Amino acid sequence: MSSLVKCPHCGLRPREEFTIRGEVATPRPHAGADEGTWFDHVYLRDNPRGQHREYWHHSGGCRRWLVLDRNTVTHETGDVVDASTLKTEGQA
Amino acid sequence: MRDFLLNNVSPFPAKADANGHAAVHIAPIATGFVTHVLGKGNAKADAAHLTKLISDIAPELGATLRSPSPGQWFWVGDCDVSQGRFAEISGQIPGEYAISDQTHGRVRIMISGPQVRDVLAKGAMIDLADGVFVVGASAMTQIGHIGAMITRTDDDCFEIMVLRSFAVSLWHELHQMAAEFNGPHAG
Amino acid sequence: MTSFRIDSGTLIDRDDVRSFTFNGEKLAGFGGDTVASALLANGKQLVGRSFKYHRPRGILTAGAAEPNALLTIGRDGRRDPNTRATMAELFDGLEARSQNCWPNVNFDIGAMNGLLGPLLGAGFYYKTFMWPAAFWEKVYEPLIRKAAGLGRASYDPDPGYYEKCWAHCDVLVIGAGPAGLAAALTAGRAGARVIIADEGAQLGGGMLAEGGLIGDKAADAVLADIVGELHALPNVEIRKRTTVFGAYDDQVFAAVERVQKHLPEQAINPDRAMERLWRIVAGHVILATGAEERPIVFGGNDRPGVMTAGAMRTYLNAFGVAPGKRVALFANNNQAYQTAIDLEARGIEVAAIIDPRSCPDIDFNGKARLIAGAMVRDTAGRRAIKAVTVRHDDGRDEVIAVDALAVSGGYSPIVHLACHRGAKPVWSDEYAGFMPPEQCDGMVPAGAVAGCEGVVACFDAGAKAVLPVLDGLGFGAEPVRLAGVEGVTASAPNTMAIWSVPSSKGKAFVDYQNDVTAGDINLAMREGYDHVELAKRYTTNGMATDQGKTSNVNAIGILAQNKGVTPGDIGTTTFRPFYTPVSFGALVGASKGFEFQPVRKSPLHGWAARNGAKFVETGLWYRSSWFPKDGETFWRDSVDREVLNVRENVGICDVSTLGKIEIFGADAAEFLNRVYCNAFLKLPVGKARYGIMLREDGFVYDDGTTSCLAENHYFMTTTTALAAGVLTHLEFCAQVLWPDLDVRLASATDQWAQMAVAGPKARDVLAQIIDDDISNEAFPFLAAREVSMFGGRLRGRLFRISFSGELAYEIAVPAGFGESVADAIMVAGEAFGIAPYGTEALGVMRIEKGHVTHAEINGTVTPADLGMGRMVSAKKDDFIGRVMNLREGLVDPMRPALVGVKPKSPSDKFATGSHILKIGDAVSLANDQGYVTSMCYSPSLGHAIGLALVKGGPERYGEEVVIWNGLAGASITGVICNPAFVDPENEKLHA
Repeated sequence: MSSLVKCPHCGLRPREEFTIRGEVATPRPHAGADEGTWFDHVYLRDNPRGQHREYWHHSGGCRRWLVLDRNTVTHETGDVVDASTLKTEGQA
Repeated sequence: MRDFLLNNVSPFPAKADANGHAAVHIAPIATGFVTHVLGKGNAKADAAHLTKLISDIAPELGATLRSPSPGQWFWVGDCDVSQGRFAEISGQIPGEYAISDQTHGRVRIMISGPQVRDVLAKGAMIDLADGVFVVGASAMTQIGHIGAMITRTDDDCFEIMVLRSFAVSLWHELHQMAAEFNGPHAG
Repeated sequence: MTSFRIDSGTLIDRDDVRSFTFNGEKLAGFGGDTVASALLANGKQLVGRSFKYHRPRGILTAGAAEPNALLTIGRDGRRDPNTRATMAELFDGLEARSQNCWPNVNFDIGAMNGLLGPLLGAGFYYKTFMWPAAFWEKVYEPLIRKAAGLGRASYDPDPGYYEKCWAHCDVLVIGAGPAGLAAALTAGRAGARVIIADEGAQLGGGMLAEGGLIGDKAADAVLADIVGELHALPNVEIRKRTTVFGAYDDQVFAAVERVQKHLPEQAINPDRAMERLWRIVAGHVILATGAEERPIVFGGNDRPGVMTAGAMRTYLNAFGVAPGKRVALFANNNQAYQTAIDLEARGIEVAAIIDPRSCPDIDFNGKARLIAGAMVRDTAGRRAIKAVTVRHDDGRDEVIAVDALAVSGGYSPIVHLACHRGAKPVWSDEYAGFMPPEQCDGMVPAGAVAGCEGVVACFDAGAKAVLPVLDGLGFGAEPVRLAGVEGVTASAPNTMAIWSVPSSKGKAFVDYQNDVTAGDINLAMREGYDHVELAKRYTTNGMATDQGKTSNVNAIGILAQNKGVTPGDIGTTTFRPFYTPVSFGALVGASKGFEFQPVRKSPLHGWAARNGAKFVETGLWYRSSWFPKDGETFWRDSVDREVLNVRENVGICDVSTLGKIEIFGADAAEFLNRVYCNAFLKLPVGKARYGIMLREDGFVYDDGTTSCLAENHYFMTTTTALAAGVLTHLEFCAQVLWPDLDVRLASATDQWAQMAVAGPKARDVLAQIIDDDISNEAFPFLAAREVSMFGGRLRGRLFRISFSGELAYEIAVPAGFGESVADAIMVAGEAFGIAPYGTEALGVMRIEKGHVTHAEINGTVTPADLGMGRMVSAKKDDFIGRVMNLREGLVDPMRPALVGVKPKSPSDKFATGSHILKIGDAVSLANDQGYVTSMCYSPSLGHAIGLALVKGGPERYGEEVVIWNGLAGASITGVICNPAFVDPENEKLHA
């Protein structure tokens, strides 16, 4: 029926308000990085069973990109943070 | 230059205010302005600073701010603002804020009555209960499949702001949602 | 009324006589009756035929678990098949029909399937009907479906309105039996926001079946007091007729409320929902769902007149219906004896109590003869039970004449909701049932679901279970108590687990609805399907619409017994939503017909409609596709005229649906430079530029123009199709990839009404409403700036850009003024022959000009493939897609590239999607040269033209090829050419 996501800006909202982009990939390489690094970034995903970090866009609310910690087995969601924080941590 | 007629056409149906005596009253807000104010980058929201700023620049417009997103606000008021006046204000706003006129792009609907929460619960997930969603609170969310900003303006009165192109659909849906309280069979 | 209606019944209103029909026969019942109780009161024990063997079936239960009494209720669009008679409330004029019988329920030809029993055992689908293989689809399956169908859905649309709602609470109480009522009242008095939901028409659950006193007061009076107080509490929301059918992630519970399904048609408010789907966001949950009484598996246990003991007690006490005149009870537990006590209290003879326990530890003082250590092994009677055969502990058989049999094989806690998220229930030997899992995902089980027995104990348990929850919420609370009840003693059920009677004679049913017998379960085991999930699927036990509520635990018990393990070792099958069937109407809600999805209307919709537009749905938008004039009967008549008029005179087209994004910020130019593959850093104020966005994998994502309106202020247009996608992409770039840039994005699509005014006379028309100088010198190709209009009465944004290839402008004005401005342009253009044109003409003109859309930008093309490779900046350090665009496969010169195609003979036609082959080549994938992405009839040229992606691209201009259409079996000879069919030198554009 639904499940809820705790948007750090808007509070608890139904899943229908969000658009899922998929797994948080490796950080975007700099332009001079070798092709292999770029292929990893563009194509390679871990698709783990268990804890998974995903980009979710609150398209039906604040329109902020979020990073959501989700367990693919139990569906439990842990931390949800604004995705702009990834860059400062060198992860975007 | 010929004397062309210039009408500001409402996106709502012609007899939009026909249910004035219904239990759940739904009416378009025909006048006023909506200005999208965008703060600098991802800077922290500072509504107080912005409130002071716009009160100084345009005291006649009020300083009602509703935030759809961190660092962004809809500055909303009920009096009409000409394009010229908007350009003046735009010129006076410092660079840390950008403003975009959305008066025509985002239209407003007032919905009120004792059962208004029951009506909105048919479309919106957010909890509109007294202690949770106080007068003055607003939220960017969805009513059914349509994105909208819901603002509580009084005890039993809410304002819905929606993109103009969706206005007819939302208008129709709100009436359908309220029909059990308003229709000839209500009681 | 009838000899079966007796002088009791707390739920029925004898002054409210309601007539109804059953298989066309006129009958009567009372307000408060269910269809089941009314049928029983009319002596109708036989109500349907079974699924596979078409055996006569009666009413087994008095609630949601009913496997037998499935009726079709109502007619036309309001016909509901497979409705449980035990849940359907009787209303005046109700029409009910038996299912799965022909010609009628009393004489059913399908019953001969009973004689074919050996062929229809477990797995019969896979065995009996295996060969010849060709027979399966044509003969066996249609026959089986016809014979074994349940009720049939109506073909008429349901006139009822359905809706979905959200609700929020601190405490959700699921089930309004004694435990649920006590929990809700305790929480309600404490001030918590409470929702209490129950599937029944009345609150009370198990209390409704109580005939006697609770404490010193009549049970129905006690219940009325509790319900009255709950109603008076403003913080308690009561939902009757509401089944909580699923537990979902994050404490979201789904429920369906049958708002008007119990009303006669003339009483239905058409503006109110028939059913309402609730999504309840619950802080905490008290699970007070009760326990289901299990039947016992013995020979002939499906004969009409066999009923669970609790159901019989409910019909007796709540509905005033006697099950018969001479009744037997077959029970393995103490609680069921209450049925015998109540029957005798109402003056009904209890012929015998057959108890498999050799020394039942029970204090029974009734008249009934107690036969200990015995079991029922068979029943007799054609359409209703006439006798039972009892096997005594000494092996002797005794036949006892009865006209009803109450059965109780113990109790199964209703643990479904506690298990929906994956937890497994826990077997209890002591209770002989599966108990709720220890970790219930935040739910607190209370009452019979947790193993309590009896109203008083359950009430006490419910009141206490909610206390820790309230404490956690910060509410001080006192548990509510029943007046006049001193000291609550928990009694043990003393259930002796028996699953199936070993000496059973004839068919002994485990799953009534799917006609699964004990023999079928044994067969599945012998054939190796002894895992509980396999046995379920092999026998179909538990797979019917009742999902095995009365059968699953018995099947598990039989498996366990035969394997010599405990039922806990076997385990249950997986519990999944929905607990009971939910109508499609409720799941769909209001989203049907016109409300299926929202409609987006352009600010020029009214203008277009007034000008006779035919609209086409593109995504959610309604766009004007062409504007027929009098005498034009075929769409192409209009489109050809519109195209030629633009090429010769001037036309006006609504382009408001293009995505529009305002981009602000000190780093806006740098941002654009990074998201477009071409250079944007030095775009001057007052200029527009065509831009191509790549995806990070190097392929083209979208195209459009971006204009610089002022320093640090840009206005981007996207295609209609990707308006939302591009904004989302830009937000990702701005927020995630480059949060350090000062860039701010505002969607402005809805703010502006935008019109393309195109054609050699476009300037002449616009000059009449625009105050500024728009001569070619003052406002050249790609100029973009704000202009004054109508003598200073309005300001708009003017862009000199062209999709049609003509001298063209796009003018944007605040949306509300769109219609007036379009009208003014029409008036101003009248002398110049202006006519509106739609998206079809726009599409033709862009193909004539060789401009691409998403027919070409289809996710497989690079800028070079589109002939725009030189636009990709080689100077920029970085932009989205830069690196991957340069990889080996994307720079291959033999990649398919954009060309035009035309037929060699002007009268030939071809279709989009056709493939290009070299002349003389065989049709094969290896020989494929490319395909046609767009085509149209060009009124400017007088023949068909197309765009195609062909290997080698522009190198092959002039080459004759085959345009092969395998689907239509039509091939023509074509010529590859420059895609700019019209004005390849761009003279018109710059005029």
